[in-house]
Amino acid sequence: MQTEATAVSKPISSKDNYQSAEVWTKVTGKAIYGIDLRLPGMLYGKILRSPHPHARIRKINTAAALKVPGVRAILTGSDLSCSPYGIVINDEMPLEPDHVRYVGDEVAAVAAVDDKKAEEALKLIHVEYETLPAVFDTGEAQLPEAPQLHENFPGNVAWRREVVRGDPESAFRNADLVVESKFHIPQFHPAYLEPIACVAVSEPDGGITLHAAVQSPDIVRDLLAQVLKLPLSRVRIVGPVMGGGFGGKVYGNLNLYLISAFLSMQTGLPVKMQLTREEEFTAGRPMVAAEIKMRMALGNDGTFLGREMDLITDNGAYSNQAPWVSNTLAERNDSVYHIPAIKTKVRLVYTNKVPTGQYRAYGNQVANFACESLIDMAAKKLKIDPLEIRLRNCVRPGETTVHGLQIKSCGLAECLAAAAEEIGWTKRKKGHGYGLGAAIHASGSVVFDPNLRGASARISLELDGNISLFTGEQDYGQGTHAAFSQIAAIALDLEPSRISVYSRDSLVTPYSMGALGMRQATIGGKAVQLAAEKLREKIIRTASEMIGEPVIMEKGRIGSASGRLVDFTEIAHYYHGRTSGLTLTGEGSYVPPESSYDDAKYGNIAVTYSFAAHAAEVEIDPETGALTVHRIVAAHDSGRIINHLSASGQIYGGVVQGFGMSCLEGYLFNEGRVANPTLADYKIPTALDVPDITPIFIETDDPEGPYGAKGLGEIVQVPVPGALANAVADAAGDWVTEMPITAEKIFRILSKRGAAK
Amino acid sequence: MDIEKITFLLNDEPVTAYADPAESLLHLIRDRLGCLSPKEGCGRGECGACTVLLDGKAVNSCLVPAGKAAGKNIRTIEGISNGNSVHPLQRAFVEKGAVQCGFCTPGMIMSAYALLSENPVPRREEVKRAISGNLCRCSGYKQIEEAIMAAAAEMNKKRV
Repeated sequence: MQTEATAVSKPISSKDNYQSAEVWTKVTGKAIYGIDLRLPGMLYGKILRSPHPHARIRKINTAAALKVPGVRAILTGSDLSCSPYGIVINDEMPLEPDHVRYVGDEVAAVAAVDDKKAEEALKLIHVEYETLPAVFDTGEAQLPEAPQLHENFPGNVAWRREVVRGDPESAFRNADLVVESKFHIPQFHPAYLEPIACVAVSEPDGGITLHAAVQSPDIVRDLLAQVLKLPLSRVRIVGPVMGGGFGGKVYGNLNLYLISAFLSMQTGLPVKMQLTREEEFTAGRPMVAAEIKMRMALGNDGTFLGREMDLITDNGAYSNQAPWVSNTLAERNDSVYHIPAIKTKVRLVYTNKVPTGQYRAYGNQVANFACESLIDMAAKKLKIDPLEIRLRNCVRPGETTVHGLQIKSCGLAECLAAAAEEIGWTKRKKGHGYGLGAAIHASGSVVFDPNLRGASARISLELDGNISLFTGEQDYGQGTHAAFSQIAAIALDLEPSRISVYSRDSLVTPYSMGALGMRQATIGGKAVQLAAEKLREKIIRTASEMIGEPVIMEKGRIGSASGRLVDFTEIAHYYHGRTSGLTLTGEGSYVPPESSYDDAKYGNIAVTYSFAAHAAEVEIDPETGALTVHRIVAAHDSGRIINHLSASGQIYGGVVQGFGMSCLEGYLFNEGRVANPTLADYKIPTALDVPDITPIFIETDDPEGPYGAKGLGEIVQVPVPGALANAVADAAGDWVTEMPITAEKIFRILSKRGAAK
Repeated sequence: MDIEKITFLLNDEPVTAYADPAESLLHLIRDRLGCLSPKEGCGRGECGACTVLLDGKAVNSCLVPAGKAAGKNIRTIEGISNGNSVHPLQRAFVEKGAVQCGFCTPGMIMSAYALLSENPVPRREEVKRAISGNLCRCSGYKQIEEAIMAAAAEMNKKRV
C-alpha cells in the first residue's frame, strides 16, 4: 500500500493528448446524433406556433387537420393535464391553452406518419386569436400602462435583486474619479450546429423514455416526471451524441420534449420532433439581453474603491434560466478585482419576445464587455496603463472577494502579465489597437441545487481486465470523458484507453447536475478520482487475498515481494467466482467542502475558481471603420491541464465564439419578431473570419480539483468581449458600448472625432 | 408530386431510388437511402454540414434537387475509406484535435477531400477558403486547418 501516494501524485503528462474512441465514430460518419434517431413505427411531430406577439386564443378548430391521412394525433393546450412549470419561475406551459406571449409560442402539435403530413395538418388547424397590445422594450414594459404578460408579475418584473456589499456610498463620496457609462447587449444564440431533436417513447408501464442529447439529463428527467406527473423511476433519458451545446442544451428545449412525450402517450408510438434552424432562433432559448448602467469609483493611483451597476435584463415571454443568468451577469465580474464596495440592482423584465436562457458562461462574458470597458475608460482618464491598473487591482490567492468567494489557487496576475508579454504590450505597433480583458469564473459551481453540490461516479473492473466508468457528466466534444479516463488511469496505473466511459442512460448512470457551471472537470473529475482510488484499494485487497501475500500495484500489474504476479483479468475472475458474479466496483462521492452561501447570496459558491486574461490586437480602417482582429492571446489559469489538445481546442473555439458575439452576432427584432432567424443573417464566424489565437496555460496546482485541475469550458469566452472593446477603443479613440462592435458603430465614433476621412 | 426513378452511384455503388426529383438530395440520401453521415444543420445551404461530393465537386446536398443526382457519382464520408483503413484526413482530424462535437465533421472532411483532390499542396489561405462554407461552432477552425494541412503533407509523402 506504500506505493499509493507516489502513484497517485504522479504528475499528469503534459504530452498526453488521449481522445476517447468515440471520436473515430465522428470522423467516419457513424456517430448517431439526435436528428439521426429512427425508431420502428416512429411518428413525426410538428408544432403550430403563434404568429402574434401577444394574443388570446379564442378557439382552435382541428377537425380538418385530423382528417389528413396519416395524422395520428393533435394536441392543444386545453388537452394537457399539466400545470405551468419552469426552472426558476413556473410561468410556462408546453402548449399555451389560452394566452400566447411571443411570435413562436407553442399553440398546437401534430403527430403524423411523416414530416410532410404533419406540416400539411398544421396548415389546416384554424386558430381564432384576439390580438392584444404587445410590449417589446424592457423600459416600456415596466410602465403602469404597459400590457401585463403574466398575472402575478406587476410591472412585468419577473425577478429582482438588490445587493449592497461594503460601503458604496462612502466609496463614491471619497473617490478621486468616478467614471460611468451605459452598455447595451442583445440576445445571443449558442448556435450549436445540431438543432435540438428528440424521440419520446411511451413505455408499456406508463412511463416515458426520452432520447435526447442534453447537458443535464437528470434535471430534465426530474422536470419531465414533475410535469408529466409520472414517478421518477418511470422516466428514463437516453442520450444520442450531441451536436454542440454551449449551455444552450443544459435543459435542451423542455417544451419540445414534453410535447413529444404527450404525443407519444396519446398515440402509443415513438414520436420524433426536431426544431428547424429558424425555430432555433425564434423559439429556442438565446441568452438574455441586457441594459447595463455602470459607475466606478477610483483613487488617483488607480485603486478600485467601488462599483455600482443598474442592470435590466430582457426575459422575453417566459423565464427559463434567465434569473440565474441575470444573477451571474450582475455579480461574477465583481470578483475579478479587489473591489471593496458594490451596489447592484437587477430587474428581469418580461417582454413579448423570444424567451431567453443561457449560453456558455451564464452572462459573465457579456458583463465583461461593460466592466472591462469601464476600467479602461478610468485608466485613460487617470493616465495609467491598462495593464498596470489591472495588476494593481486584480484578485490574488488567499483573498476572499466582495461576494465571499474564497480564492485559493489563482494565477490571474500571471495570466495578465503573460498575455501582455505575448501580444507585445510594451512594443505596440503604431496604428494598431491593443486591449486587455480579465476574468474569473466559478469552477464547480454548487449553487444549482443546495442538496446536491457535488458529484458521484462508479467504476468497475470487468472480467476482461478492462474498466467501465459510469458517470452522469456529459461529453459533447469538450473532452470530459477522455479527461475522466485519464484521471482514472492515473489512479489505477493503466492506459486511459482501457477505461470506457458511460454517461448517457439515466437508468444506469449516477445522478448528476451535468454540464453546467464548469463543474464537470472539477467536481465530476474529483468523483472519478475518488471512485478509481477506491477500486484500486479493492483490487489490491482482493489480489492479496487471492495469493495470500501483501501486494503492490504498478502499470496495471500486481505483484508480491516474493515475485508472484497477478493481472487485472485474474483478479476480476477470482472475485467473480468467489461472489457468484459480482464485479469489483468503486463508488466515488465528492462533496465539496466549505462551499455555501447565505440568504444574501454571500459565500463561497464554488469548489474553486478559474482565471483568464486575454490580450487583443486589432486594426481599423480609418475610412470605413471596418475592423480587423489580428490576434487574441488567451492566457488561462485552469489549474493543472489534464489534456493539452482538448484544452487548446476549448480555447480556440471559445475565443472564436467570444469574437463572434463581440463583432458579428446578436438578435435583431422587428415588432417583436426575430428579424435575422437564419445562419445567413445571424452570422457566426467562418474559417475566413477568425483571428490568430495563442493559448497560454498558467498551471496553478489547485488543492481541490482532481490532480490540481480546474474548469475551462466556459471561461474561455469570458474575457474576449472586454479585450476586443478595449482594443477597438485604443484604435478608434472611444468605446463602442453596444455589442456587437460593427464597422458602422466604429465609423460613428471616427466621424464624431473627425478622424474619418 | 411526381415520383421518379433516380439511378446514380453512391460511393461507387449503383443505387436506385424512387423519389420526387424536386426533393433535396440530402433528404434522398438520409431518409430514403438511410445514409446518415451528411447532417442537416439548417436546410438552407448556410452551414455546410450536409456537404457531399457530386462527381467530385463539394455541394450542399440540401440545395441540390434529388433529380440532379441521376447518372452521377455521389460521395459521402463512407466513400473515402474502405474496410479497416481510414483516409489520412480522418486520421489527421483525430490526431490534431479537429473534432469536438463532430456534427460538422463529415461535411468538413468532404470539403477538404474535394480541395485536396484538386489542389494537393494547398496554402493555409486556400484551406480556409475551401472550408469557409462549412460552419463549425466548437473548434474555432484552427485544429481543423492544421489537420487538413497535415493530411495533405501525409498524402504527398505517399505519392512521392
